[in-house]
Amino acid sequence: MNDFSELEGELKKLRPTRASGELISRIEGALADAAQSNIIRPQSRLSGSDFRINWLGLGLGLAAAATFLIVARVDLRPGDKTKAEPAGGTLASATPTLEQRAAALPNYQPTGLTQVVYGRHDEGLVFPRGATQPARRIWTAKRETLRWRDRETGAQLAISYPTEEVTLIPVSGQ
Amino acid sequence: MENVATHDDWKVCFSELAPGLVLFARQWVRSSADAEDVVQEAFVRFWRRNLSIKNRALLYAAVRSAALDLIRRDNRRARREVEVFGHAERTVQPQFEQLDDSQRELVAALDRLPRDQREVLVMKIWNQLTFAEIGEALGISQNTAASRYRYGLGNLKKTLCPNDQPDATASASTT
Repeated sequence: MNDFSELEGELKKLRPTRASGELISRIEGALADAAQSNIIRPQSRLSGSDFRINWLGLGLGLAAAATFLIVARVDLRPGDKTKAEPAGGTLASATPTLEQRAAALPNYQPTGLTQVVYGRHDEGLVFPRGATQPARRIWTAKRETLRWRDRETGAQLAISYPTEEVTLIPVSGQ
Repeated sequence: MENVATHDDWKVCFSELAPGLVLFARQWVRSSADAEDVVQEAFVRFWRRNLSIKNRALLYAAVRSAALDLIRRDNRRARREVEVFGHAERTVQPQFEQLDDSQRELVAALDRLPRDQREVLVMKIWNQLTFAEIGEALGISQNTAASRYRYGLGNLKKTLCPNDQPDATASASTT
């Protein structure tokens, strides 16, 4: 076995450059801000609950739901008109009826899902926002392939797409 | 976990740790300014969570995490992130004070080490972490950390003294 003590001694003689004085004052300011806001320190938490309402997300979600309801309501009217038309009449409609949609859908049935993991990297310990303990962050790159098969014709349909996934696995501290 | 260090003595703790922490952060970022930003973010994040300053593995893990976040912010796509992570091996230049010629040669050899070996050397030599702490911070076993350390020293020695007997262990790839 090699003796690296001489080399270790040489390495230890190298002195890393000192951090700038500005760094300490910046950290001091950031810690002072944290003390004033009392955001994350455990004693400042109210009733021990981490639940917070994301008002922007909630508002956008409600707006999207309202838009969907309006569109769905408008969408039903052409369907009613189609029923009212005489049997031989032709009606040009930009929006298909619910019946037409159902008829247009092929008789496909899901037959399989394949996930091929081609990249995986352990990014070490991280501190998720709001978490009281660290977690290990695992980054995974996959390719997922979904397959369907038409029960009548035997035709097959496959969709393949790459996905990336970051998993946080809680670990107990010291 | 409680903070062992009080709010008054964090400066003392930080002053002792700062040069090593900044050097450690330089493993991922290209400039001292970026490294100091990473250390600031990690230390404040660490301190706000009332973690013990004695838990150095978590502190270094926080620095590593902050550095990765910085890389991610600069490179939105994960593929780009991986590329940058690879390029970091060639761009990192640890900074040391007042180098003579032989020390410059040593630092250049250190720069040429694979990142996984170099980060263990930095944590061990200039931050005095134990192999157990290094393993915890990097998410590897204690034995793997020790192996990488030996491989790193072996490769350094081979670079600096190419006429010496080749070391079989140093030429092997790291675990």
